[in-house]
Amino acid sequence: MGTILEIEDLNLKKGNKYIIKDFNIEIEQNLISVILGVNGAGKSSLAYVLMGLSGYKPEKGKIIFKGKDITNCSVTERAKAGMTLAWQTPANFEGLTVREYIEIGMKNKSLFSVKEALEKVALDPVLYMNRVVDKSLSGGERKRIELAAVYAMHPDLVILDEPDSGIDILSLENIKKLILDFKENGSTVLLITHRDEVAEIGDKAFLMCNGKIINEGSPAEISDFFKDECSKCDHKGAPEKSLAKNERSE
Amino acid sequence: MATKIIDEYAEMMKAYEQSGGKVGEFSNPNVPSIVISGNKVLGKNEVKGLIIEPTPTKDGVDVKITVKSGTKILYPMALCFGVLPKEGTQIINMEAYIEDNAGMNAISHCVFPNAEHIVHKMRYKVHIGKHSFFRYKEIHFHGDKGGVEVVPYTEGTVGEDSYFESTFTLKEGRVGKLDIKYDVDVEKGGKLELYSKVWAKDTDEVNIEEKGNLKGEEAKALIKSRVVLEGNSHSKVVSVVNASAPYSRGHVDCMEVVRDNAVAEAVPIVGVSNELAKVTHEAAIGSLDSKEIETLQARGLTEEEAIKVVVGALLK
Repeated sequence: MGTILEIEDLNLKKGNKYIIKDFNIEIEQNLISVILGVNGAGKSSLAYVLMGLSGYKPEKGKIIFKGKDITNCSVTERAKAGMTLAWQTPANFEGLTVREYIEIGMKNKSLFSVKEALEKVALDPVLYMNRVVDKSLSGGERKRIELAAVYAMHPDLVILDEPDSGIDILSLENIKKLILDFKENGSTVLLITHRDEVAEIGDKAFLMCNGKIINEGSPAEISDFFKDECSKCDHKGAPEKSLAKNERSE
Repeated sequence: MATKIIDEYAEMMKAYEQSGGKVGEFSNPNVPSIVISGNKVLGKNEVKGLIIEPTPTKDGVDVKITVKSGTKILYPMALCFGVLPKEGTQIINMEAYIEDNAGMNAISHCVFPNAEHIVHKMRYKVHIGKHSFFRYKEIHFHGDKGGVEVVPYTEGTVGEDSYFESTFTLKEGRVGKLDIKYDVDVEKGGKLELYSKVWAKDTDEVNIEEKGNLKGEEAKALIKSRVVLEGNSHSKVVSVVNASAPYSRGHVDCMEVVRDNAVAEAVPIVGVSNELAKVTHEAAIGSLDSKEIETLQARGLTEEEAIKVVVGALLK
């Protein structure tokens, strides 16, 4: 199994502050890799840097996707190369129907595939397909439509930024099932979360703190470490008991 | 002469189709319709309970439309107005009477495909009786030269427990100069909805003044405008709701998206002269939301394609 994404010595600075600093990671193809971390650890910023969003151009470092350096590529170029992002708080689109929204990223547009994508996130296509992707949807509904839209794309790499936030407890199992379906369909998943009950479906996990990966291992190990160590830490640096990957490699 | 009229009719239908209309409507005997080119009435179809009375004038046509009491017209009426030459003036004076317990939907396509210097004035008087409805959609197609001046003025009264919805759409081709005015009174239990959707480009000028007067108890009004401006275009949207009756409710919602060097102004005016009435407003002017654009780019669209999708949806 090869590496689909490599990040080398990445720095992201906002104002005078480093949000991401000396960040290194390798993401293996067709696995679910989880990034755990407290609020403010830099997880969402990492997702935005990877997707190439405006305001998130790295100060230094390289992003290699499928063997190609995409550090200076546009959002569109990255998407066309097979990468996409499901936002933690997705944008609203006045006038755009759910069906139209899901179809945008599909290579072969079909009503069947739109219905399938909606069913994957436990939304009834009959009730939702012609609704508008605007503020008339609840946060949870909008979130599920976002996940349906990225599912319909069949991306090589999908970055899911807290797909569980705003999702009720009854729907959480559907979302976990969907994440497993991404893998089943050949996608690699980079799953950003701070909930260990979501992280447990991953194949591998990384703990992010203060803009760095400070630990990696199985989801169970990282979740345990997260619960035991992160709650008593001020998150201003790597905890004492850390097995910090970046530090070990030095 | 007959051949010339047939050619003119065919060209009007071609422009009608370009503006999104379905030409088959004009040959369906169940669909009420009228086709006016310049000051000539090229076609007309009445259905039971609907009377269409056109009178040609020097620069246009006066049209009186009456939906008789107790009649609900099954199919939307198709109206096609336009001027085919590059230059000219068309003045349409239209009076629509929707009598009590009656109702009709109508879709009007105004087409000026070759316009270099065209003036199109529409004076619209709408009288809606009690327990009735009238939904009117006006879609414009102006070609790409921007040589059209469009001046639609609508005055009207929405009777007791009646409903009037008017939608003005101009998103294909250039706008030229647009000056829309609405002034509509709403009586007890009546409801008014006004929608304007305009995409201005280059040096287009847009002026929209919409006014709803809530004069009867529990009267309601919604005035919603969506204007997208590009190039050096300019727009001013003045939306007014005056509520003077108890339990009347109004809302003004104006959004203008500005790109390039365009300039937009929005002036919501809300007036309340009864302590039991309530009117709210929201107005937003700004650039396109970068998060919306980048979301669509993350689905594989280019920036320009994403902008087209966002703007197209906003004006839909």
